[in-house]
Amino acid sequence: MAMPYVSEEKKALSASVAKRRRKWQSYALLFILPSFILYALFVIVPTASSAYLSFTSWDGVSSDIRYIGFANFEEIWHSERVHNALKNTLLITAALVVLENVVAIALAMLVDNVRWLRNLFRTVFYFPVLLSGIVMGFIWNIILNYNFGVLNQLLAKIGLESIAIDWLGDPNYAMISIILSTVWKSAGYYMVIYLAGLQSIPADLSEAAAIDGANRWQQFRHVTLPLLAGAMTVCSVLSMIGSLKIFDQIAVMTDGGPGFATETLTYIIYKVGFSEMRQGFGTAMALVLFLLILIITVIQVKVLRKREVQL
Amino acid sequence: MLRAARPDNIYTNRGDEYTMVSTKTAKLVTLPLALALVLSACGGNNDGGSNGAGASASGGEASQPAGSGGASSSPAKEVSFTIGYATGDPATKQAIADSIKAFTEANPTIKIKDISEGTTSSYLDWLKTKDAVGEFPDLVEMRDTEVFAEAGKIVELPSELRDLFKTLPAVDGKIYNAPLTLNAPQGIIYSKKAYEEAGITELPKTYDEFLAAQEKLKASGITPIVVGGKDIFHMGFWLNKFLIDEVYASDPDWNSKRTAKQVSFTDANVVQAMTDYKELFSKYVDKGWLSTADNQTASILVAGKAAQLFSGPWMFTQIQQADPSFEFGFYALPDREGKRSVIGLPSPAGWSLSSEAAKNADKAAAIESFIRFFFSKDQYAKYLTTVNGIPSTKEEISYQTTEQMQTVLELMNDETVAKSLAINNWWGENQIPPQFRNWYYKLMQELVVKDGDVAEYMKKADEEYDTEVAANQQ
Repeated sequence: MAMPYVSEEKKALSASVAKRRRKWQSYALLFILPSFILYALFVIVPTASSAYLSFTSWDGVSSDIRYIGFANFEEIWHSERVHNALKNTLLITAALVVLENVVAIALAMLVDNVRWLRNLFRTVFYFPVLLSGIVMGFIWNIILNYNFGVLNQLLAKIGLESIAIDWLGDPNYAMISIILSTVWKSAGYYMVIYLAGLQSIPADLSEAAAIDGANRWQQFRHVTLPLLAGAMTVCSVLSMIGSLKIFDQIAVMTDGGPGFATETLTYIIYKVGFSEMRQGFGTAMALVLFLLILIITVIQVKVLRKREVQL
Repeated sequence: MLRAARPDNIYTNRGDEYTMVSTKTAKLVTLPLALALVLSACGGNNDGGSNGAGASASGGEASQPAGSGGASSSPAKEVSFTIGYATGDPATKQAIADSIKAFTEANPTIKIKDISEGTTSSYLDWLKTKDAVGEFPDLVEMRDTEVFAEAGKIVELPSELRDLFKTLPAVDGKIYNAPLTLNAPQGIIYSKKAYEEAGITELPKTYDEFLAAQEKLKASGITPIVVGGKDIFHMGFWLNKFLIDEVYASDPDWNSKRTAKQVSFTDANVVQAMTDYKELFSKYVDKGWLSTADNQTASILVAGKAAQLFSGPWMFTQIQQADPSFEFGFYALPDREGKRSVIGLPSPAGWSLSSEAAKNADKAAAIESFIRFFFSKDQYAKYLTTVNGIPSTKEEISYQTTEQMQTVLELMNDETVAKSLAINNWWGENQIPPQFRNWYYKLMQELVVKDGDVAEYMKKADEEYDTEVAANQQ
């Protein structure tokens, strides 16, 4: 049964709250305005204008920009080189999302559980994150070079010269080298996110599981991992986006080669746009990649969100 | 943009709020990150090609009222201009830097800003990037004259400078470049010790004799040939050697015929050229050729890890610097009939004046005086000595040459040696689509590593060539 007096009071109260909230929202919009203007100026406007270029045959230099309709998109659809780059990009992305997250969780568990030299481990594992992709590429070039590389020289020192491999020049190994060196560089970044997740898990949950007879693996599988799902959503989304736009390592370590073996979408966009004088075509590919990332990310977030456990 | 891609606040969230915030954050970052990606892929190109403002700003302090006269006529007035050139070869880079230094010391009122950079990408990539960010050099070493001339980025070479040079190839009837040197022949740079140890007493007179020599080198336990295949331009040295022998030496207009679809990459001569290339690379080239950079080849040669390198005279200085006691020779590689064909025709390349710089009379005058200085007898002699270049000037230049450089000059003067150009150095009707060269060189790398069928790969080359021609005509 309704109680008219209370209800009226509540109504009045909620009306006043709603009014205040509306007022606050308009202030909030004002706060957002400066960053929105900057964002629009540097992101939305350039993106929209580059969208126009994707319908042109602009070479990137000439002042003559000709509208060619959907010809660039048709070429993307039929181009073997683009298909190969898409295949490489998806392969790298799948491998990196899995490996980066597995390694990052393992590292986070390690630094969360060690008693001694905890800070040293954290620093060492995080250190590669601080390097730029270009620097990282040069370091791995020095390690993996066939003739002068540290790795092959080590193999030679221990008498295994015969199995020395051209890590970056052999198409079978170039992709693996790129993937592993990228994991080395970025796992530390995700480790920090997982570490924060681990430290937010109350110890009593694990204790309760232990009392119920769960062993270490069962505690990890049924307590820790579900509670890390939130961090996993963030990490895998970031890792996925980072992998889809992998560029620096490829540019420095393999230049997309040998042949076309390590060409990815971002790399081909740059190559086509700059060195092959087809800015219009490159922009069209960038637009396709943008849509691809948007779709994959939305699906990924939706799927991963279902796994999350609220404390 | 990078900051947007790394929302630092994510891992500062704690405890109960964490899951909720992380999920929201993930949703929030999705769109900006995707947008950031697109921008990172095509960053810097959104000015629609109008780099005028940037370019004029780069030398803004030099701007003077119109009609104020040339810098040379009023030495007290400070003028500055930017300069950009290819820095891939350390000797050339040093030699140009030395010329700039000598010039600015002699002309204290003229400042030259050297904006050249060592990059991992090709010179054309670098130049286009500079153009995209509005920093196109005032004086630029131009290698893709036709493209930049058509885009209106460079102007014709001032007529008073043209008298300095022997031959100046024209693009659409106009002359744009002051050639730094003439195109130099490429050939085999070999270790005398390795040849001696392999029992090669006489230099090969035919291509078959050369192959026999490779067998001898291999049998002696040394890798016959080092290749810097990581740098895509290096691939061109070998590929063009075979293309010149089989195609361009007898048909300099092959490219225009290919554009008109009168000839094909699947024709017997091209297939033969690429079959020879594939055979050589499969059997006699260093195993690490695809991860070896061009600038590592000299070290591999002098360290005795390989016996030969196919390159040009610009390598002589690098080799001597790597090991002054290393003994090496140079010869042009003959074809099966013993005929020698080398790169050596002039092509439109060299110093060019940017359109923006040409609008400023003071700057143009300063650049002109630099070009005169660069090609002046003493200064140019120093440059040629360092880079082992072939002089492009009318005036006779005497400079020190090594034994290997003597061979190069003899080849240039020998009329029985056919002179030609690389696939991408032809111009006018014979210009290939600018994007084709790198694609083709990469395809040829793939041909070797995948042990592909030459005829099949040549079909792919035909298809790509036609696609690119069609795309460029749009």
